[in-house]
Amino acid sequence: MLVIDNLTYSYDKTLYNFSLHVKKNEIIGIIGESGSGKSTLLDLIAGFLTPQSGSIDFENRQISSLNTEDRPLTILFQKYNTFEHLSVIKNVLLGISTSLNPQKDELQNAKDILKEVGLEGFEDKLASSLSGGQSQRVALARSLIRNKPILLLDEPFTGLDLQTRVKMLDLVKKISKKRELSTIMVTHDLNDCKLIANRVYKVENGKLCQV
Amino acid sequence: MIKNIWRFRLSILPGSVISLAILFLAFGIFYILFLNSNHDASSSAFITNRIIGLIKFTIFQAFLSTILAMLIGTVLAWSLAHQSTFRGRDFLVALLSSSLVLPTLIVVFGIISVLGQNGWINRVLLYLFDYSFGSFVYGLSGILIAHVYLNASFVARSLLHVFESIPKERYKLAKSLNFSVFNRFWLIEFPAIKLSLKSISSTVFLLCFTSFAIVLTLGGSPSYNTLEVAIYEAVKLDFNIPLALKLALIQLLITMVLVFLSANFQAAATNIKTSGTKIPWNEPKKLQYFQVFIIFFSTILFILPLISIFIDGLGADFKRIISDEIFIKSLFTSLAIATVSSILSVLFALLISDARRNFNINHRIKKSKFRNLINLVISFSGNIYLAIPSLILGLGFFMFSLNSQIPLLFWAMLAVLCANVLMSLPFAISILYSPMLKIAQRYDKLAFALNLRGSKRWLYCEWPYMKSSISYVFALSFCLSLGDLGVIALFGSNEITTLPWYLYQLMGSYQTKDGAGVALILLVLTLSIFIFLPKVFKNARHR
Repeated sequence: MLVIDNLTYSYDKTLYNFSLHVKKNEIIGIIGESGSGKSTLLDLIAGFLTPQSGSIDFENRQISSLNTEDRPLTILFQKYNTFEHLSVIKNVLLGISTSLNPQKDELQNAKDILKEVGLEGFEDKLASSLSGGQSQRVALARSLIRNKPILLLDEPFTGLDLQTRVKMLDLVKKISKKRELSTIMVTHDLNDCKLIANRVYKVENGKLCQV
Repeated sequence: MIKNIWRFRLSILPGSVISLAILFLAFGIFYILFLNSNHDASSSAFITNRIIGLIKFTIFQAFLSTILAMLIGTVLAWSLAHQSTFRGRDFLVALLSSSLVLPTLIVVFGIISVLGQNGWINRVLLYLFDYSFGSFVYGLSGILIAHVYLNASFVARSLLHVFESIPKERYKLAKSLNFSVFNRFWLIEFPAIKLSLKSISSTVFLLCFTSFAIVLTLGGSPSYNTLEVAIYEAVKLDFNIPLALKLALIQLLITMVLVFLSANFQAAATNIKTSGTKIPWNEPKKLQYFQVFIIFFSTILFILPLISIFIDGLGADFKRIISDEIFIKSLFTSLAIATVSSILSVLFALLISDARRNFNINHRIKKSKFRNLINLVISFSGNIYLAIPSLILGLGFFMFSLNSQIPLLFWAMLAVLCANVLMSLPFAISILYSPMLKIAQRYDKLAFALNLRGSKRWLYCEWPYMKSSISYVFALSFCLSLGDLGVIALFGSNEITTLPWYLYQLMGSYQTKDGAGVALILLVLTLSIFIFLPKVFKNARHR
C-alpha cells in the first residue's frame, strides 16, 4: 500500500498538506482547478519536488528520501511523452535501457506490451507519425515495461477526443487491474474519474478532500 | 479562405517593391562588376595561384572560426540554461546579446589590449614569472580569437533561447527514466537544438567568410588575407581596380552559392531577458561545478576586453578628443547615418515581413508553386547582405560613381546607408516576421469581423504586440550601423568620416591613447543605446 502522510510543501504563499492511502489494484482520481496543486502532489510523490515534512511509504518502506529514478513508480505526462525522432519500439525500450541495446527477451517484452496497448505492428514507425492517442499509448507502454507498482498519470488524456479518451481510460483500468497497480490520476475532468477511479479527491486550499 | 481577401493581398505590394528594388540593386552591382572585370587586360588567367590561395585561406579561417565558436557557444548556452539562478545572470545574458552589435574595431582594440605584446596578460606574466607569450594576436590566431569572441557569444545567446524552450516535462521524463547527462543531451537537448545548430552555424560561417575589419586589423600579413581584405587592398593600396573587380566577382559567386546552400537565417535573440530552465531537483554536484566553471571562464574571457577598453579609455584626454573637428564630424555623421538607416531598416523589415506573411497563411493566398517561389525570392532579398557583403556593395557604388557626374560624397553616403540597411535587414526580418505571422493567424478573422483595416488594424492588432520587437530592432540596427567599418573603409577620408573610420585611423597612426578614448566613447554609446533605448520606448508607452 502507498501511504502519503502529512506531506507538506509551500509555494507562492500556499501551504500544501497532503495525506492519502492507495491500495494495490486501486485507482485514485485527483481533481481540482488549474493551479490548485494537483500536479504538485504528483511532483512530490515522484520526487521532482522535495517536501518540507511528512513521509511517503510503499509496502512499509520509506521512499520519500529516494531519487525519482529509484522510486517504485512510473509516470505518464500530459504531453512531450515521446521522442519524435525515435521509433515506437525504441521509445518503449527507453523505459528499461537508455543505451537502446536490448536483450532478446527485453525486445520481446516490449513487443508484447505494445500489443497489450493496441499498437501491434507499429514497432518501426516514427513517433512523429503517430496521432495524439497513439503517442499516449506508446508512453503508457513505456511506463508498463518499467514494471513498477505505482502508476502516476498527470492529465494524460487531456486534449484527446472523447472517443479516444474513453478508450484510453478503459485501457488504463484494465492494465491497472491486470498488473495490480496503485494508480493516481490527476485530471481536471470529473467524468474521467467517474469512469475508472475507485475514489476521487479534490485539491482545495492545499488539502485533499474526498468527493 | 476569407471573403474580400484582396484587402490583405494589397499589402504584398510595398514589401514586394522593396524586395525588387533590393534585388535590382544587387543585380546592378553584379552587372557593373562583371562588365568592368572584362576590361581587365593586366592578367591572362582569371584565377591565379594567389587567388586560389586567398579563397583557400578565406574558407579555412571561416571553417575553423565556425567550429570553435559553435563548440564554445553551445557549451556556454547549455551551462547557462541549467544554471538559471546565479546573481548577475541577467547582466551576462544582456552582454552576450550585445556582442551582436559590438563594433568589431572595439573588440579588436580590447583583444589587443588584453592579449597583445604589451597587453594585460603578458604584463602580469612578466611581473609574476618573468615570462611573456609575446605577440600572438596577429595572424590566424588573432583572427580566430576575435571571430570566436564575437560569434561564440552570438551562438550562446541564440542557443540559450532554444535550450530554454525545451519543455520541462522532457526533463522530468529524463529524470524518471534515469537518463545520464549524456543521454539527456543526446535524446532531449540535441534534437531540440539540431535545426538551430544548422542555421546558426551557416550564418556564423558566412559572417566569418565575409569578415572584414577583423582580418584587416589582425591579419598582420598578406598570407593571412581574405578575399574581402584583398579587395580593399587592391582598391585602396594598389589602385588595381581590375583585380578588385575580379576578386569581388569571385567572392560574390561563392557567397551567393553559400547563401543558397545554407539554411534559413535565424536571429540571435528576440529580446535580452531569458527565463532559465528551472529544474526543481538538484543536479549532480560535479555537473554543477562543470557548468559554473564554463560560465565563469567564459565570462572572464568575454568581459576582460571590455573592461580593458574602459580602463584604458579613462586615461585618454577627452578634452582634446571632443574638441577635435574630425571627431565631432565623425560623431555626427555616424549618428545621422545610424538614425536614418535604422528607421529605414525597421520600415523595410516591416513591409517585407508583411508581404511574406501573405505567402505563409493559407486563408490569404492559396498554396501553390508560384506562391512558394515568390516567397523564396522575397526572403532571399531580405538576406542579400550575406551574399553581397558591404565591401563589394561599396565597390559597386564606387564603379557607379566613376560613370556619373554626381559628386563622390553622394555615392559614398548612399553606399554607407545602403550597406547599413542591408546589414540590419536579415536580423530585423527574422525578429519581426514571426510575431507578425502569429498576429495575422490570430486576428485576421476578428479584424474582418470588426472591419478593422489600414491604420486601425495596425493600431489595435499589430502595434500593441509588435512595439517591443520594433524598438529592439531599431536599437539593433542603430548600433550595427554605428559600429560598422565596411563601406566606409573604401570611401573614408577627412571629408567622409564616421566614428569607426576615425578610430581605425587613430589605430593605424599609433595614437593609442586617443584611440582608447574614442573606443570607450563608441562602446558606451553602443551599449547604452542597445540596452536602454528599448527600455525608454517601453516606459514612454505606459504614460
